[in-house]
Amino acid sequence: MVTIYTTSVCPYCHMAKEYLEKNNIKFKEVNVEEDEAAAREMIQKSHQMGVPVLDINNTIIVGFDKSGIDKALGL
Amino acid sequence: MYDLIIIGGGPAGVAAGVYAARKKINTLFLTKDFGGQSLVSAGIKNWIGVKEISGFDLAKNLESHLRDQEDIEIKDNLLVSKIEKQGDFFSVFTDKGDKFEAKTILFTAGSRHKRLNISGEDKYDGKGVFYCSTCDAPIMKNKTAAVVGGGNSGFEAALDLLPYANKIYILEYTEECKADSVTCDKVRASGKSQEITMTEVKEIFGDEFVKGIRYQDRKTGEMKELAVEGVFVEIGFQPNSESVKDLVDVDKYGRVIVDPKTQKTSLEGIWAAGDVTDVLYNQNNIATGDAIKAVLNIYDYLKNI
Repeated sequence: MVTIYTTSVCPYCHMAKEYLEKNNIKFKEVNVEEDEAAAREMIQKSHQMGVPVLDINNTIIVGFDKSGIDKALGL
Repeated sequence: MYDLIIIGGGPAGVAAGVYAARKKINTLFLTKDFGGQSLVSAGIKNWIGVKEISGFDLAKNLESHLRDQEDIEIKDNLLVSKIEKQGDFFSVFTDKGDKFEAKTILFTAGSRHKRLNISGEDKYDGKGVFYCSTCDAPIMKNKTAAVVGGGNSGFEAALDLLPYANKIYILEYTEECKADSVTCDKVRASGKSQEITMTEVKEIFGDEFVKGIRYQDRKTGEMKELAVEGVFVEIGFQPNSESVKDLVDVDKYGRVIVDPKTQKTSLEGIWAAGDVTDVLYNQNNIATGDAIKAVLNIYDYLKNI
C-alpha cells in the first residue's frame, strides 16, 4: 500500500502525486495540514516534519525522491 | 558532438532551449528538474502576461513549452558535476556518470538557499529546520517559529506561517528589516510577529526535534535564547557555480561574471544567464531575457567558427 503525506500548496507533494499517477500507482493521500493525528503519524514514521513523506509498503521516503520511489516500487 | 549544451531548467534555461530549438541549433538540454527557485512560490504575480500563477504551474508550463519543441534533446533528473575545456570544445560530466561534448555551453544553473552553517542546522534538517516555507509552514500549526532573515524571502516565509503559527520571531542581522512594505505591513498587522534586529544566530538546539535557538545580540554581545519549534532559514541565495568556477571568472560571491550585452563569460565558448550570474536584479523575467540574448549571441558565434 502507498500512502503520501502532504500539505496543500507544497509543490514537491504535487510532483510526487503526479509521478505516482503517471506510473499508475494507486495511493492514499493524507493532508497533514487538516489532520493533526496524521501529522503525528507522519512524524513518528519518518522521524522528521518535512513533506512530502511516502510510505510505500513500510518503506519511508522523505521528499520527492524519484530514485527512492522507483526502488521501493520496483519500477 | 553538440553545438550547444544548456545546463539548468529554470526560466533562463527553458527560454534559451526554446530559442535554440527554433534556431535549429543542435542542442542538448541538461537539468535536474524544471521551474527554478520559483517552484516553491505559492503565487507569482509578476510573470508578465499572466496575472497570477503558482510556482508549480509555472514549472509545468516551462517544461511543456520546452518539450513541445521538435529540435532539442532533453535529459532531466541529473546534475552536472563538472565541465572541462578540451581544446576547442567542452566535456560535460554528470552525477550519473554521463559525459557529453559540445562546442558551446550556456550555463543557467541558478542558485540555492544559503545555509546558516551553524551547530544544529544539519542535525535538525527537517526536524524543525526548514528551507521551504510554502511546503512546511502548515506543520507549525499552533507552534512558535523563528524566521532567520528579515529580507523579502524572510517576510514571505512569515506570511506563509501566519495562518498556522501562534508566534513568529523574525531575526535580522542588520539594524532593520528590508522587505517590501506591502509584505511587511501584512505580517506586522497580524500581531503575531516580533522582529529582533542586530542578531546573529549561533546555534539550533533540541532533543529529537528543535526546541530553540541561541543568538547573539550584536549590540551588547549578549547571548540569548528563544524557545521555538521551527526555524525557517531565509538568509539569501548562493550561486550553483561549483562546476564552472575553475573555468570562468566569478565574483566574491561565486557568481559567474558576464558581459551584460552578450552574456559571455570570461572564457570563449561559455555563456551564462540568470541567478548564477552577477546580474543586478534576480527576476524570472530578466533571467529569460538574458538567456535569450545569450542564445542569439551563441547562434552568431556558431555561424563564424
